[in-house]
Amino acid sequence: MMDRLYALYMREAKRIFRSVYMWIMLISQPIMWLVFFGSSFSGVPSQVLTSFFHTTNYIAFILPGELSISMLFVGMFSSMSLIQDKRFGYLKRVLITPTPKYDVFLAKTLGGMTRGLLQVPILLVASYFLGVRLDLTPLSLGVLFLSLAFVGIGFSSLYSMFTLKTADWQAPGVISNLINLPLMFSSTALFPKAFFPGWLRAISDVNPLTYAAELNRGMLLYNDPSWNYLGYLAMFALVMVLLGSILTNKYLNAE
Amino acid sequence: MYSIETENLTKKYGDFVAVDHISFKVEKGEIFGLLGPNGAGKTTTIKMLTGLTPPTEGDAVIAGYSIRKNPIEVKSRIGWISSEVILDDDLTAWENLEIQARLTGVRNWKERATSLLKYFGILDFANRKTGKFSTGMRKKLEVSMALLNSPEVIFMDEPTIGLDVNTRATMWNLIREINRDYQVTILLTTHYMEEADSLCSRIGIINKGKIIALGTPEELKSRYGGDIIEIELKNGTNVNVGFENAVVTNGKVRIKVSNAETMLMDVIRAIGNDNIKGIKINKSSLDTVFINLTGGTIEEQDFDARRFYAMIRRARR
Repeated sequence: MMDRLYALYMREAKRIFRSVYMWIMLISQPIMWLVFFGSSFSGVPSQVLTSFFHTTNYIAFILPGELSISMLFVGMFSSMSLIQDKRFGYLKRVLITPTPKYDVFLAKTLGGMTRGLLQVPILLVASYFLGVRLDLTPLSLGVLFLSLAFVGIGFSSLYSMFTLKTADWQAPGVISNLINLPLMFSSTALFPKAFFPGWLRAISDVNPLTYAAELNRGMLLYNDPSWNYLGYLAMFALVMVLLGSILTNKYLNAE
Repeated sequence: MYSIETENLTKKYGDFVAVDHISFKVEKGEIFGLLGPNGAGKTTTIKMLTGLTPPTEGDAVIAGYSIRKNPIEVKSRIGWISSEVILDDDLTAWENLEIQARLTGVRNWKERATSLLKYFGILDFANRKTGKFSTGMRKKLEVSMALLNSPEVIFMDEPTIGLDVNTRATMWNLIREINRDYQVTILLTTHYMEEADSLCSRIGIINKGKIIALGTPEELKSRYGGDIIEIELKNGTNVNVGFENAVVTNGKVRIKVSNAETMLMDVIRAIGNDNIKGIKINKSSLDTVFINLTGGTIEEQDFDARRFYAMIRRARR
């Protein structure tokens, strides 16, 4: 029943919107990326930028990448939220009602996605002030949000799957350490893969972050998106959600 | 007509038997108490009856449905109150109620929620975050949430643990009132004798996973009761009391007698004036029932919780 998922999702959303610290995190983290990391190439001659990044502004290059990375990072919050519910016993309260376990999982996943998507408008505005001009149309915005939603759902699911059976506060940090850095640096979110060694390129070619970064770069900067990338991301989200739902029904503990 | 029937209900964690083939029946409208020390298996029993954990063996029928075959039907007909109050403290009372209503599938939940909050006198606080509530108010909100889906049975796990004397008395009244006004069967667990005695129409005494006695408080007292004379000894190591039913532990002698007042002088004479530090008389009560059944007080039965949880954790892996 949708009513149950709705109730659990609204709970996640309210908790996100009401936390001051969450807003500080949401606003500061992506902007710090753009300002500090994005500025690291600002002295590079523009021919170099054009030939390697196909743009004269590195911030414009990493913006779609950073948006994708944001969706990766929020995954951690879904598993933190799940562990918090175990610790405070709230999960017992939920599982004593006729609520299927996968509803709990889906609510956490959608909560993580929501949290990530809130960063999109913040980053778009921030990049405007940093001199980035993007090709913003209803279509490109729609695709941007949709593709990032897929990435968010996929990674939030992945995170939740890893912490289904544990109630240890440390677990999300450990998982994020093992997932975030390899996926971030093996994608083309920050650098083109022209200089990657073969093995890194192989990872990059299946990494959903690469697909999200490339799709939105094509959409927002070059007006030439690869539509099948959107399909790849949709498949990624679907597979993760299905797998996560099955594992949750089997392995989720109330404590 | 029974609201709860359990048949050989058993839960094992690895080699450890937390609940050992318990069978009991609770009639509709009854307040039934599971009385026992910490670690006796009370909470595990509730976890099985509410569908949080599957039984290893046996079955229970609640409100006409088997917890093995129809757990969803069972879950939509029960309410639950935890020993620690569990609410979402970032949300208001009303929002907590809304989530509970949607999760249990209640249709006209707003009317029901309003009337429940009014009944418990906390309607004015509906739009405040529950994190700011006092413990008494939080308990009341939790009871409202448990009643929201008009359950046939409410499970209360140690409902008054950690409450002060006043709040506990209020909670007792509240339990009696909802039992009467909402015609709901209540199964509660407790390790307070006076709580079981005052609230419950029938009691099951549970120790080490087994139900060792079952009946009304009066039945239990007359069957297993009797007065107890407890004498604290100056020199507790070497005593020959010479009475039947005498137990010596930790420098104390406990003697079960039919009437303490008439027997007291004989006991003192037998032990000897010089060796007596203090005398205590327990008139027949659930305390004495428990002592007679297990040979120790309920406090002494408290077991090593750390070992127990370590065992459960190991078994889960």
